[in-house]
Amino acid sequence: MSVDLRPLYLTLEISLASTVLVLAAGTPIAWLLARKNFFGKHLVDALVMQPLVIPPTVLGYYLLVLLGRSSALGRFLEQHLGIVIVFSVPGAVLAAAAASVPLYIKPARAAIESVPRAYEDVARLLGRSEWSVLWTVTLPLAWRGIVAGAVMAFTRAMGDFGATLMVIGGRFQTVSIAIYDAWQAGDLSRANLLVLIITVFSILVLWSVSRLTGGRI
Amino acid sequence: MKLRVPTFATVPPRRRRLRCLVVALAAWGAAAGCGSRPARTAKPEPLAVAAASDLQAAFPEIGALFERETGQPVRFAFASTGTLTQQIEHGAPFDVFAAANEDFIRRLEAGGHVLSDTVAPYARGHIVLAWRKGAARLESLEDLRDPAIHFVAIANPAHAPYGRAARQALEHASLWDPLQPKITLAENIRQATVMIEMGNAEAGIVARSVVAASGVEWTEVDASLYDPIEQTVAVVAGSPQSDAARRFVQLLLGEAGQRVLARSGFSPPGKGP
Repeated sequence: MSVDLRPLYLTLEISLASTVLVLAAGTPIAWLLARKNFFGKHLVDALVMQPLVIPPTVLGYYLLVLLGRSSALGRFLEQHLGIVIVFSVPGAVLAAAAASVPLYIKPARAAIESVPRAYEDVARLLGRSEWSVLWTVTLPLAWRGIVAGAVMAFTRAMGDFGATLMVIGGRFQTVSIAIYDAWQAGDLSRANLLVLIITVFSILVLWSVSRLTGGRI
Repeated sequence: MKLRVPTFATVPPRRRRLRCLVVALAAWGAAAGCGSRPARTAKPEPLAVAAASDLQAAFPEIGALFERETGQPVRFAFASTGTLTQQIEHGAPFDVFAAANEDFIRRLEAGGHVLSDTVAPYARGHIVLAWRKGAARLESLEDLRDPAIHFVAIANPAHAPYGRAARQALEHASLWDPLQPKITLAENIRQATVMIEMGNAEAGIVARSVVAASGVEWTEVDASLYDPIEQTVAVVAGSPQSDAARRFVQLLLGEAGQRVLARSGFSPPGKGP
């Protein structure tokens, strides 16, 4: 039996790229929320947590309306940078990242908050810059939460269906879309196989997170 | 030990505000809940009709005709024929299934999921070449090669009859392989049309019965390029209201139903374009 595993590779590719994006965008936000007080902090907090509570299809709809090929932003991206968000892999990465960023920010923020400020102050007293304090004291001490958050974001990106379907459905098949399509076409053996692969894979990932953090996340 | 129950006065002001909010939300929820509760009337249980997506424009009118005639309302579920077939095989509680072709109904009949004596063709469908309103006119399928067209939307041939017909037409025109990088598969024919309407796909091959009610421009596709799309209906086996279901099928096949279908871009069953 030959099995088309392209959806699996595509899903891994999208989830990895999405996790990199989430780390890059989410870490500064997590740090700001953990360490700074500023006007509108609760609003920022609510906004970044939004994707956890709104349906993924709504998230996908936002992306389509804001970045679709006939939207102002979508037209700009296509004409000046040659980037098309809909029906493209970058679009899928964006959809997965938007859906998974709260799962990273939440534990990352808690981990940064739990680093005693006294340690940071010691480093400051020894003449370290703020940047150096962040990289050599705060983040290394918060690594457990950051890694756990990144893994959660990765698995969420792997499992996304609604947002991804809205943005790239019809041109690319991630595992979840391939399962849906196989079911609709009545190809249950293919659906079963993909379901098995994705289930085993996500259990492995979550099991390793649990080992890594001693079950504390 | 004395149990301390927090009263309104002992709660700090910040908490108090929060509590007010919770109480207000709960009251609003309760009020909204009461408002939306359906009033008890003698209206009969609606007839559940599963219908292919290309019927989305025509069927509400047929449903209204049915309700006027029998007093029973009709509830439609629109999706691709393959999806609905799958649902019925898994026991979805529909009374009537109006498919977009014959194959899927035959598959259900073989599995005993529809009543054999109710299977009947009710319309012949057609595919059209569609493009976004205001964009340059397309004359033939060959025009889809234009490099200005990045995406060509069709319904998924794996489970949507109109997608299957679109694929056949492209294959006969020797365009299926060269157009592969552009082909974008929609869940159903209605979604393929929306892809064109929203401008995410520049063109597509969709159903004639769908374009009339949408904001796209279109031209006919040569009917010799694809097998006739013989839309077939049947009463679902195990329907608790099979009499009403049969009556719906009769209305669909009768003069009134056929008039509505003709207006939506269908031909009578078993006949040419």
